[in-house]
This record gives sequence, C-alpha cells and structure tokens, in this order.
Amino acid sequence: MTFMTLPTRLRRWGALGALALGLGLTGCNSVLDVDDPDIITDASSASGAVALRNGVLLRFSAATSGGESLFLMGGLLSDEWKSGDTFEQRNSTDQRSVLVTNSFLGGQLRDVNRVRVEGRSAIDALRQFSPTPAANIGLMFAVGAFTTNLAGEHYCNGIPFSSLDANRDIIFGSPVTIDEAFALAIQLADSALQFTAGTGGDAVIGLASVVKGRALLNQGNFAAAAAAVAGVSTGFEYQVTHSLNVNSNQNWSLNTSARRYVVGNLDGGNGLDFVTAGDPRVPAGPSGGANAFDSQTPFRAQFKWDRTDAVVVASGIEARLIEAEAALRTGDATTWLSKLNEARATMAGLDPLTDPGSTTAREDLHFRERAFWMFGTGHRLGDLRRLIRQYGRGSETVFPTGAFPKGGNYGGDVNLPISQDETNNPNFSQCLDRDA
Amino acid sequence: MRRVVFRQLLAAGFLAVLAGPLAAQSGILTGIVTDGASGVVLIGARVQVVGTSLTANTNAEGRYRLTNVPTGTHTVRIAHIGYASMNRPVTIASGENTLDVTLSLTPYSLDEFVVTATGTQERREIGNAISTIDVTDLVREGPVANMGDLLVGKAPGVQVLPGNMTGGGSRVRIRGNSSLSLSNNPIYIVDGLRIVSDVNSSSIGIGGTNPSRVNDLNPEDIESIDVIRGPSASTLYGTDAANGVIVIKTKRGRAGAPVWNMYVEGGAIKDENDYFDAWRGWRNTSTASNTTQCLLSQVASGACTQDSVTRFNIFTDPDASPNGTGTRQQYGLQVSGGSDAVRYFVSSDWEREIGLLQMPDFAADRLKEQRNIDKVPYEAFRPNMLQKTNIRANINANLGSKADVAVSTGYVSSTQRLPQTDNNTTGLLSNAYGGPGFKGNIVNSGGVTRANFGYRLFTPDEFFSETVTQDINRTILSGTANYRPTSWLAARAVVGGDFISREDSDICRRDECVAFSTLKDGFKENNRTTFFNYTADASATATFQLGSSLSSKTTAGTQYIKEKFARNGAFSENLPPGATTVTAGAIPSASEATSESITLGFFAEQNLSYKDRLFLTGAVRTDKNSAFGQSFSRAYYPKASVSYVLSDEPFFPQTGWLSNLRLRGAYGESGRQPGGNDAIAFFSPTTASVDGADEAAIVFTALGNANLKPERTREVEVGFDASFFDSRLNFEFTFFNKNSSDALLSRVIAPSVGAAASRFENIGSVNNRGWEAVINAQLVNSESFGWDMTLSGSWTRNRIDDLGVIPETFGTTTARVEGLPINAYFARPVSFDDANGDGIIALSEITVGDPEFLGYPEPRGEFTGFTSFDLFNRKLRLTGLFDAKIGGKQLDGTNRIRCESRLNCRGDVDPTAPLAEQARAVAVRQHSTRTQAGFIDGTDFFRIREVAATWTVPDGVARLVSAKRLSLTASARNLLVVSNYIGLDPEAGFFATNSGFQSDFQTVPPPTYYTFRMNVTF
Repeated sequence: MTFMTLPTRLRRWGALGALALGLGLTGCNSVLDVDDPDIITDASSASGAVALRNGVLLRFSAATSGGESLFLMGGLLSDEWKSGDTFEQRNSTDQRSVLVTNSFLGGQLRDVNRVRVEGRSAIDALRQFSPTPAANIGLMFAVGAFTTNLAGEHYCNGIPFSSLDANRDIIFGSPVTIDEAFALAIQLADSALQFTAGTGGDAVIGLASVVKGRALLNQGNFAAAAAAVAGVSTGFEYQVTHSLNVNSNQNWSLNTSARRYVVGNLDGGNGLDFVTAGDPRVPAGPSGGANAFDSQTPFRAQFKWDRTDAVVVASGIEARLIEAEAALRTGDATTWLSKLNEARATMAGLDPLTDPGSTTAREDLHFRERAFWMFGTGHRLGDLRRLIRQYGRGSETVFPTGAFPKGGNYGGDVNLPISQDETNNPNFSQCLDRDA
Repeated sequence: MRRVVFRQLLAAGFLAVLAGPLAAQSGILTGIVTDGASGVVLIGARVQVVGTSLTANTNAEGRYRLTNVPTGTHTVRIAHIGYASMNRPVTIASGENTLDVTLSLTPYSLDEFVVTATGTQERREIGNAISTIDVTDLVREGPVANMGDLLVGKAPGVQVLPGNMTGGGSRVRIRGNSSLSLSNNPIYIVDGLRIVSDVNSSSIGIGGTNPSRVNDLNPEDIESIDVIRGPSASTLYGTDAANGVIVIKTKRGRAGAPVWNMYVEGGAIKDENDYFDAWRGWRNTSTASNTTQCLLSQVASGACTQDSVTRFNIFTDPDASPNGTGTRQQYGLQVSGGSDAVRYFVSSDWEREIGLLQMPDFAADRLKEQRNIDKVPYEAFRPNMLQKTNIRANINANLGSKADVAVSTGYVSSTQRLPQTDNNTTGLLSNAYGGPGFKGNIVNSGGVTRANFGYRLFTPDEFFSETVTQDINRTILSGTANYRPTSWLAARAVVGGDFISREDSDICRRDECVAFSTLKDGFKENNRTTFFNYTADASATATFQLGSSLSSKTTAGTQYIKEKFARNGAFSENLPPGATTVTAGAIPSASEATSESITLGFFAEQNLSYKDRLFLTGAVRTDKNSAFGQSFSRAYYPKASVSYVLSDEPFFPQTGWLSNLRLRGAYGESGRQPGGNDAIAFFSPTTASVDGADEAAIVFTALGNANLKPERTREVEVGFDASFFDSRLNFEFTFFNKNSSDALLSRVIAPSVGAAASRFENIGSVNNRGWEAVINAQLVNSESFGWDMTLSGSWTRNRIDDLGVIPETFGTTTARVEGLPINAYFARPVSFDDANGDGIIALSEITVGDPEFLGYPEPRGEFTGFTSFDLFNRKLRLTGLFDAKIGGKQLDGTNRIRCESRLNCRGDVDPTAPLAEQARAVAVRQHSTRTQAGFIDGTDFFRIREVAATWTVPDGVARLVSAKRLSLTASARNLLVVSNYIGLDPEAGFFATNSGFQSDFQTVPPPTYYTFRMNVTF
C-alpha cells in the first residue's frame, strides 16, 4: 500500500485555493446585488412629496368609496345594504353578528389608518420639499380627520391609533373610546383649517369644516357642530373621484355589477324604505334578473352611481343637516324645518317638508332625511348609534331585528368590533365595550 | 493524523485542477464484468479503485479500463444496479493489469449509487435514507402521464396531492409542512441544475389548480429520481433545501450500436365519481310560479309545508352533464448508443391530452343559435387540453483518460387550455354544484331569461367560452465536466441554465361569456413571463487511503444560483365584436413585475471510511443571499452523519437468514430564504384619481426587516436497513425529528399602524417528527414466475412549538396555535338532539360549543403497497399500486356552501336526511356563529392507484417487425377509492397558498385513466 503525502507544489496551490475561498467568503457582496424595478425606496424630493400626497388620496379613496370600506360594511350592519352574497363575512355583518375573526375587518381598519399614518408621512414630506400650496398639507390633515371620525362612528369603544416614527419603527397606540376618537378627528380638522386658512383652499376648508361639525355632532356638541359648518355653502361638495384606470366606485361594483350587495328596503322591520320610497335621492329598484349573487335574495340595484361616478363624502347639504339638528336639539322646529327644506330645494322632485308635530316624529324625519341625502356614504351606522346614544332609542327600535332572511335571527351588534389582527398590537386585547 | 487532515483540506481548493498531474508510478487496470449465472456481459457496471477518485463504467462489451492507477495493492469495488457489489483486491504493476469479475443478482443492495450534492456516492456511505425511483420501468409499464403520477406513492414520507385536471400540477410534500408562511415545496435538481419548479405557475387564475413547472419534464426522459428528504441529507444543497430535494437524472447513452426505442400510447379519461344530488323542497302553494323553496327549517317553524322533495344530478343527466370522455395520445422515439469515447441519448416525444370536459348539447345548441354558427369553436367545446413536445439530447464524452464531459439539453414546447372551475363564480363547478335541484330552472341572466338545465347561474356555453391558455417554451441546458488529474483528485463543474418563456392568455370575446359584472363586454389579458435560473457549481474531491483500513475523501466547492423572474402584462376590457387583442379594448391597463434572487454558497465535506463498513461524514455549507437583511451576514449549515454496515463486521454472527444490517444516523441543517424584497422598506408606484384626473402616486407598501435571515431547519434522523434471506426480504426504517426555528412568518401588522398588511419576521418554531419504513420482498423468483412486493409507510406529526410574541390566530375553520399543527382545523363543534322527535333538526335543537381543535389538515400517515406478478415465463407482468392515507381532515367546502347559501344540500331539504346532516346545515346557515365544524371530516381513504398488465410478445413475433423486444401494456389509474369522507373525494382539492393548504371547495375529483401502450425496441 502506498501512503500518499502532499508534495510542496500542491500545498502551495492548496493554500492559494484556501485563500481564494476565504476571499470569496468575505468579498462576495457585489455578486449578490439585484435590481428590482418594481419598487421605490426614496421619495425625498418635491415631486416625491406630491406623489406621496396623491398616494394618500388613493388610500382615502380605498377607505371610502373606492374599496369595500366602512361605507359598505357600515351600511350592511345598518339598514342601507343587505347581503346578497355567499360570503359569510358579509352575511354575518348583515345579520348583526360580527365576530372578531371576520376576515374583512382587518382590511377596513387598515385602510382607515393608512390615510392617517401615510398622511402624516406626506405632511412631513410636503413641509420639507413642497410646502406650497399649503392646502396640500391641510388636505392631508382633513382626510385624516375624516377617517378618524369614520372609525369612531363604526367601531366599538377601544379603537387603537398607532403610528410610525421617522425610522418607520412602530409606535403602538392604546385603545381609546369613540369619544376620544371624535376628539382626535376634531384636532386633525382644526389643523387642516389652520394650515389652509388664507390659502384659497376652499375645498379643504369645506371638507375640514364638515368633518369637524360631524365629529362634534357625534360628541353631542350640537351648537359647536352647527358653528363649525356655518361657513360652508349649501352647494359645496367634496368628492372622491374614480376612474377606469384607478378604481371603480364600489357602490357600483359590489351592488350594480357584482350583485353581492342589495339596496336595503325595510330591512329587519326597522329599516327605511330606501327602494320603495321612490325618493330621487336614492334611485333604486330591480335590475337584470330576479336574484342577487346568492341566488336567493331579491336583487335591488342603486342607480345613483355608475362605475366611475364620484362620491360626495362631505357637502353643504350635510352642513345644513347639522345645523338643522342643532336647531332641533334646542327645540327650534322652525329653523330645523327651514334648514331641511333649504337642502331639499337643491334637488328637483323633492317637495318641501311639513312639520310632523311631535318631537319623536321630527327626530324620525330628521334622521330619514339624513339617510336619504347621504345614502351609501358612511353616515347611517353612526346615525343609528346616535339615535341610541343621544336620543335614547332602544337598539332594537332602530336597527334591523327579528328573523334574518337567510335563517336564524338578527344579532344585537350596533357597531363593528376591532379585528383580531389588532392583537398584534401589544397594547390591545379587545374592545372596551360594544355599546352604541 | 491532524496534520494529514489539514493538508487534505488545503488540497481541496478550487484551483485543484491546476495542480497538474503528479509524478507517480502507475499502471492500467482492465477487465470484463459478467453475470455470474448467465455469463452475459454487464453494461454500465461501475468499477472503482477504493480510496481513489478512479472510476470507470463497463462498455457494450462489458469491458472497463482504468488508467493512472498507482502501483501497489488496492481494493477494487464493482457494482451494478440489481447486483450484489463485490470488493476484489488487486495488485497493480506498471503496464497493463487484468481483473475480470462476475456479479450475482440480488434484489436489494447497499451498493447502489445515489446522486448527492458532492457527486455520486454509494448508498452504504450515506447516513440518510434516500429513496431512489427507477423511472424507466414505471413509465414503460404503468399509467404515468406526468411527474405527479411518477412520484405519487413511490417513496415513504413523500406525499403527493395529484392534480385532477389535465394540465393541473401536483403538490409534493416531504415529511410534511414545516414552514408557516414560506413555500413547503421541495426543490428540484436536474442533471446538477436547479430548475424552476413553481406550482400554480400561471398569472391567470382559473379557480382551480394551475400548471406546475415540474410537469414540463418528460418522465420518458428520466432514468432515476433520488428523493433527499430533509435537511439531514440536503444541507449541502444550501438555503432553500429545507423541504427536501428531488434529484433527477436523465437518461444517458451507453457505448454500443444504436438502440431505438419507440412507444405509442393511447387512452381514455373518464369521470367515474359519484356526484352529489341537488335537492329541492317544493312549497305547497297556490301560486303558479312556486319559485321559493320550502326548507326543513321552515317546515319545523311552520312557515311552510313541503309539497314534495325532488333531486337532480347534473353529472348523471345526459343532457346536462359537462363530462365527456377525454383522450390521451403519446408518441415517442428514443435512440441511444455511441462509443467508449462519445455516447448519446436523443429522444423526442409528442403528447396530447384532451380533458374530459365537454360542452353539453343544450349549451352547444344555444351557443350556435346565439352566434348563428354551425359548429361550436373547439376551444369552447373541449375547454381543457394539454399538448406538449419534448426533445432531449444528452451527450457524454471522454476527453482522454482524465476528463469527461456531459451535456444535457432538454427542450419543451407546450400549449395548455384550462377551464374556469372550482372556486370561481363564473366557472363550471360553482354553477354545477349549486343548481336548484331540478332540471327545468329558468334563470334571468343579464336580463335574458333562459333554461339553465339545472345549473345555478351560468351555463357551459357561457363559462366554457372564456379561453385560458398557457404556452411554454423551455430549455434546460447543463454541462458537467469531470477532471481527474491524479488518482486521488477529482474536480467537477456544472454550469447551466433553465430558460422559460411563458405566455398566459385569457379571452372573453364580446357577448360570449357570462353575464357577470362587465365580462359580457369582453376582455383580453396577455401576460408574458420569462424565468431564468442559472446554476454554476464547482467542487473538487481529494481521496486518500490513510493506512490499510482508513480512507478519506475531502470535498470543497462553491455554488452560485441566480433566479430571475420578469413579467409584462397587458389587459383590456370592453372589446368590440370580433376583437381578440389587448389593443382592441376600450379600457386598457398594463403591469410589470420583476424579482431576482442570488445565492452564493461554499461548502466543504469530509468523509472517512473505516474498512468500507463504517462511514463518517462531516460537512458545512455557508450561504449569502440577496434577500437576507442588511444586518444579517451569512448562514452556516453544518451536517454530520454516520453509516455503519454492522453485518460486515467479523464478529457479526453469520446466519442464513440475516444478509445485511446497516445502522445510520445523520444530523443536518438547511434553510428557506425569504422573498427578494422582504427585507426592504419601500414604496410602490401607482395611480390615484385626484379631483377627477389620474395622477402619479406612490404608496407606502412594506416596512421591511433589516434583521431578516433564513428560516433554519435542523433535522436528526436515525434508522437501519436490514436484509434477510439472501436479500430477498429487506426492511428499512427511519425516524426523523425536524425543527424549524427562526421561522419566517408573514406577521400581520396591527391594522391601526396602517402601512403594510404584514412583514416577514423570524419568529417561532415548528416541529415535524415521524417515521418511515419500507419492506421489499421478492416472494417468488423462478424462471417462469415471479412475485415481488413493496410496502411502505410513514407517519408525521407536525406541531407549532412556539409562536414567539405573536398572538394565536383563529380563522373561520383553522387556527394558528402553539401545540397544534400548521393550519389546524379549529371550529365550534355542533351537537344536536331531536327533542320533539319530529325527525327534523331545528335551530333550537342544536348546541354549538366553544371552538376546539378538530384535526390535522393533512393526512398524517401514508401506506402504499406495490406488487408485481411475472407470469408465463415472465412474459406477462401484472402490477398494482395501492395507496392509503390516514389521520387527516378536510373542510368539505363544497357541501358547506351548498347548505349555507345554495340551499340544495340534502340536510337543508330532505326530511329523511340523517339528523347529523341536518344539524350541520342548520348550524352553518342559521346559527349566529355559522360554524362550519360539521363539514370538517376525516379523509382516510384507500385507493387502487395504478394497475397494469404488460405482455412481452414472443421474440419471434417481435422479429416479424424487426424488433428486438415488443411489449404491450394496458393500465388504469384511479380505479377505486374507499372512503367515508363526506365530500366528493378526499383528494379533491386545490392549493393556492404558500403552505399549500388543501382546499376542497367546489373542486374537481380525480378522473380515471385507461391507457394502452406499445413499446418497441429495435
């Protein structure tokens, strides 16, 4: 047997090989460089700041009429929409039995907070790189105020609002009551007004004013609410716009097109007659076949919006309705009625209202007016909760109740719970309560 | 000794090839290898000088020739598949030396060769259980249409969920799911090259299982498959090998005259499944329309009275059924041969499979009438099809006595047509399973009232008019060079690439598809994708004899793998009549996606062999990857193994019944890499509608994670191999314990943060533990009759050990909870009591409990049996493969939706339905929790997977057509399934998520294949 040893020459080459190996181990980073044209890692420029602002407006669209947002889910939980769908997530919401495991909840809460959190980043970028027009900055505050108020109207007590620091590290928020959410919305709206005052940003001022009035109304601060919207002209509208290239109006997509949502009509006994009323503010009726997507729910389409129609999310009409309610709360039925009729005068086919006489009937009429004027724009659930919270109505006198058309009975939910996804926030465990 | 080992490590550098030939005295060893019983020469036997890198294979005359053999005494090992290997001492002198060897047949041998990351090794050297599938006979004599068919039931611990539709891919799991958020698919190596093996490889969803790129491979071209099951064996394959490695070796030519093989295959595909009836409760009413059902719940509450109950089954109704008879054709020609210097294997193959779906007459008639045409377009009439052409050319050449090269080239061109099925509102099964329970239903679709023949909303003339196609052009090219500058040093390099061009297309012509959303306006989507995978792999092995008993083998190497994916997509809707291009649509949009990943790894392995019976291996691999976070530098994966052929010890009692006993154990680590951008915080470009104008926008998309590192899986496996009665009975047993730590979890970011929905974090750990066993038995072996049997079994326990800081998560039917398996079924159970004894379960008569664990989402155990009988002087061979899977559960989503919203399940309607069926229907439809627990059911089954009969015609008959051999095979796949599962079939499921969670939701059950094949060898 030959016992082999390594000659000097090979040792030399071996050492070189080991050296090459060592160099490879330590110096191979450039070999690993990859390019990905799909992503952007830096927005530190004036045009980057404007693009961020536009991105926030896209998020705002998703949180309102450009996604399956709280507008739709809140309408489902109330009486605006019925589920014509097979998805359990929509059916259980319609049935007022929403579990924290409902997988739709997380996306809607995220959409709401994206507007606020990304808005904050956009504000920082705009202030640094593109400070004028200042209305851009005000707009970021205003849409943040809108979605924060929307969250308060739709969720239970115990809503966390988290944020990111400059390094994009997470600062987890602790649960707050809906009243505290409304207060935060008012602060944001005030910031919007402050930044925009004197800059000619009328749309931003109008939006911020209406949002502030709406949040004050939610707090039960009726006089302040009326004062907040006093400067908003009746013809003012702030629209979320849609296009074929960006996103469709989801009231059209999920109702008229996909037939997964059905316009509510006398839903669960207490629901309003949105369809059979024949009110020009909510044009609706049967369309293209008897049943909805689930093959069992009679289909009723809305004809208010087509695929790319803009959705008015804040308006002078809403301002007048806020003023009317403030008057009603003081017992000034005359002003109340005149404000309602001032609004009605803006639309053909609406006759002036007459005073029904009693307080309860006036309240009913007032909330009916709000429901028809602002159908499908995320107001109805908040209004039903206010009827319980501010007007002493029982939940089963305002929400759909009794036998659920798809089997079983309606549950008792009056708001949406916070998604179980939020338990990834160490400061959150569950809703503080599910009260109105 | 330490000094010697150090020298060896130095010697194993990459520049080894430059070391040049070392001056030493050497001789030449030649000889011939023959079968000891028949004297027939053995072609392809491997002859190796133990303790050196010198190896040779016998040529067409059974001869081998080894040059540069150092003078002195050596041990020569001779091995050949199917034969017992032999060690022979030989003394080499200068000049020519001769050693002739005879080998004896044996049913089982430890001396078979398997392909590992460092080259070819004998099974006895390896401390792991590696399954080798000899493909040639399986393909020639069985109903194998694709790679999924080839792998199913062939190796313990390897579970295959077959694709049930022509062109649909299979899901392969080795030792279970172990990653919470990343892919659990194994990686595939073909002739040393890492290939693209994506499942659900399509940019266009069809609702069901899409093609797998693994099925681009042609089983006819494959010689063998080695299944490397876990990190204890796959360490040196690096990051991404934690799910196991499937190593494929394509066929090679052997020296000799050209051998031509021709095959022709034809067959039929039938649907032999029993489908559910759709039920309907008719209302006792005075109105003429009677459009509203009377459900049992309403009967119980007194809301209505049932007049009658009817049922209808679309699949058994000749007017309505969408199932016809599919066809399969395959033709192939292969030639191999060559000289000692150059050998070749060239093949071509063409196949076409028409799936069994067929537009029923009523739909065809309506389509023709609507479009005023005489004939239904074929792509709508038969919406499921696969046509594929494979060409392969493999060349091996010896460049003198010290070097050889091999070039493998495979090309495939395929086109597939895929139907709209499964989880798809506008697809077949949503509408076929969801019908109203009678044939004469009238539906208003898009404002048009028409007869639906029992379909729910849409009919086959509509959804079969949507045509989804996928065209593939793929080249897999690799070159391997081996250089043996000295008797102790061998260097190996593999370079190659896998280049795929994929075109996905989806078209609905205007007015031809379903009246849902805007589909009736027509649309066209066309997405073109390229996949480029490059592999460069180089290693050098130094082999030394360290004294008379100890030999050493040291290997060092490097590997570079680059994967690039790039896709451009175009879509438009609102097409003018007759238009078929994207540019014709009124509303166009475009998309682009790119991803790129690079891995650079280095590895070193040290093997020590003591008296050729005790083998110790230690190795380490280190990787850098472009996807790792900035704060993470490099991953190190160590491994160690021992293999001890105890029966070769002199002290081991030599009994007549125990032939071999080997003990083995291995430890190894491997990983899974995160996605290319998972570590980075970034924005995405998009468009926003701002005050009615489309404006450029960016949105914050990902938070990133600078600390991101690969998921790490550590595995220990121990086992033994024993053979009895002259190796006619063999038993292999393996226990494994696999822990995945630093588990890469797509952690949900609390929604209140806004920002991204999730980000990858290294959190928690998952444990997989189980055993695998194989018994091979040659029960009868005579000249006229043979009977072989292989039984294999495996059992896996999967458990989430730790979720770190993240909360447990509960979904509608599954949960992510510590102590339970991944995707554990978890829901509120239902119990019932027919308190009033009316035979109808009402809402008040069910009780829904608190959520609880209901079962594993995958079968835990798989038991297969393969048996073959050789009859009539071995001219007739009968084979059968039987498969049983147990211990898993599945959500029968089809019946769930039928009960919950289609309202056509028996439990909703039929007063004679079993109470349990009624209770689960009540719970899912009426109870506030809508619990689906009643539809989560055990999937235990026994299936006759394959049966085949092959007749080798007498030689005289073969000679009539100038053939050396001619055989005829009749075979069938999926002949019978026995199961109590409440759904259609326990293997009716598609999988879309990374974890490959199987979902039985309006899915296609397995069809039955009947094929006939002729093989001719010239």
